Amino acid sequence: MLWRLALRNIWRNKRRTALTVSAMVVSSSLLILSLGIFSGMLSDMLASATEQYYGHLVVSVTGYQDDRDFFDNFSPDPALLERIASTSGVRGISPRLRAFGLVSHGQRSDPAEILGVEPASERQVTRLQEKIVAGSYLPDDPEKGALLGRGLAERLGVNPGDELVFVTQAADGSIGNDLFTLRGIFATGDSRHDNGLVLVGLSALQRLTVLPDRVHELAASLEDPMTAGATAAQLNGQLPEGLEATDWGQLLPEMQEAIAASDVSRLIIVTILYFATGLGILNTFFMSVMERTREFGILMALGMRPWRVRAMVLLETLAMGGVSLALGISLGLALSLYMATVGIDLSESITPITYAGGTIAPRLRVVMEPANFIVPSLLLLVVCLLAGFLPANRAAGLDPVAAIRED
Amino acid sequence: MPSSCSTSLSFFVAAILLTGIPCTAQSVQALELRELIRHVEQQYHGSSSHARTEMRVRTEHWQRSLEMEAWSLERDRFLVRILAPPKERGVATLKVDKEVWNYLPRVDRVIKVPPSMMGGAWMGSHITNDDLVKASHVDEDYTFTLLKESPEHYLIECLPKVNAAVVWGKIVYEILKPLLVPGTVTYYDEGMIPVREILFADVRTTGGRTLPMRMTVRPLDKPGEETVLQYQEINFDVPLTASFFSLRTLKER
Repeated sequence: MLWRLALRNIWRNKRRTALTVSAMVVSSSLLILSLGIFSGMLSDMLASATEQYYGHLVVSVTGYQDDRDFFDNFSPDPALLERIASTSGVRGISPRLRAFGLVSHGQRSDPAEILGVEPASERQVTRLQEKIVAGSYLPDDPEKGALLGRGLAERLGVNPGDELVFVTQAADGSIGNDLFTLRGIFATGDSRHDNGLVLVGLSALQRLTVLPDRVHELAASLEDPMTAGATAAQLNGQLPEGLEATDWGQLLPEMQEAIAASDVSRLIIVTILYFATGLGILNTFFMSVMERTREFGILMALGMRPWRVRAMVLLETLAMGGVSLALGISLGLALSLYMATVGIDLSESITPITYAGGTIAPRLRVVMEPANFIVPSLLLLVVCLLAGFLPANRAAGLDPVAAIRED
Repeated sequence: MPSSCSTSLSFFVAAILLTGIPCTAQSVQALELRELIRHVEQQYHGSSSHARTEMRVRTEHWQRSLEMEAWSLERDRFLVRILAPPKERGVATLKVDKEVWNYLPRVDRVIKVPPSMMGGAWMGSHITNDDLVKASHVDEDYTFTLLKESPEHYLIECLPKVNAAVVWGKIVYEILKPLLVPGTVTYYDEGMIPVREILFADVRTTGGRTLPMRMTVRPLDKPGEETVLQYQEINFDVPLTASFFSLRTLKER
């Protein structure tokens, strides 16, 4: 009975109903899209920060990540590697040795960070292999091969195949130096690494620095980056004395802050957008109720209880909200799918922006997360009910005699 | 005399500058410090030297000893080559004016030290590349004040000139009487905190000149670490020309 009355009332003024539903559909679908883009940007930043260099989690000598003390190295025994690898959620582990020194070619020299890795392992932790712009990634047996960041390669004037001299201070105090061959050039968009990072084979760097069988860190990648904190805590209970696991939240505190700030700004966007939508709905229903003052008076004179009047108006609101919800989600999903598969390429107008340790790629894309659909949907229903409550109360509070007399 | 501050920055120049000091205690009192600088420069002009030295470096993590052969010409050219240990035999450093090159025999390449690395350690010691470059020009980069004079020593304060590109906020230089040889030189950073000391010892007379044969560099923020430079022999006024200080000579073994 109430449902039939509510639906009939909705169709009585089709234009107003259409406009209101349209407003709700557009706002909810655009909200879904924008939240998706937000997630895409964050995902890009986190991926570039953790998957181009840091990894999601690193195991190193306690305090090493604070000052990168060259002498805080350790020997990773197979049992340790196995324990970390068997930790749930760990996707790959890469042992690394790090040195700072000079990279030279011809008359040019530049300081650089030299990272010694096992290419097969490193590929499981970082995605530098996808960022090669010239030459190729290090082969599994890199020998004296090296990868250079693009900025560094440009300053030295080198191309793949060219010879490089690395000079560094070895662990025994001597001057470690050797000849390497440039295998490839990478470009991540992160100027700090593009201008100062060199990748070489782990054993080659161990010889250069007189640190046989030693590493500075074991970098790990996880199935889900957001579990890094919990995984690190779990590992810290199992690691031998003197070693600690550090997650990307600790390695990149500014990234952690960027994510928190983004959550807040998302909340603000949702609030503002739905506040505006709520006002629109409120306006619609107030007009609707005002127009039908006489009708409500007659209904109440006939014996309809105030709570039933209120329920009828709320049902109208809910019906419109439900329809808008379905349409909004459909449209939002369609837009998100398009952006997830095609995206918008802005690389012609902007360059990569490095912020909080991560790089925002010049390409808008969407990451499909359930929360980005559920939250707007539930909030839309809540907004509809809240917006409908005031006019419903007004309708329920009418005095039959006064209402009938009005015209 | 104040220009002797530069001796503390490089043992290569130390030999030259010290040999140029002919003053007696009486004449020092009669001369202004700046006039003394000019006097020393005239004495020092055209000097050259050839020395064999041993450098012992002790750090928190390792100790090592290097034997080296060094040549110098005037204030802006020197060449040093490592003779031992075998692993580093042939490694050499060439300084001409403000440029520093290192030769690495293992890869048979010459590496020029870029400006951003001038603050780095030279040969793993507590002497920096910057020391090598700036050492000869203390008299140009600093102004000098006599802080204190006693029967045993002069204490001279060296403050950087406004436009000088130097890393020290202040240098306090001690010259011991009556031989007029350096004693202790203390370096202060820009916050006027003492960060480094160089101590001279083992004064001998050789080649007609009196000079300390040992120089110890101590970083004050890392007690227990030090670099000791010990002269084993040194000759002055040897026949060297500017062309000797070239990249070609740098590569010879």
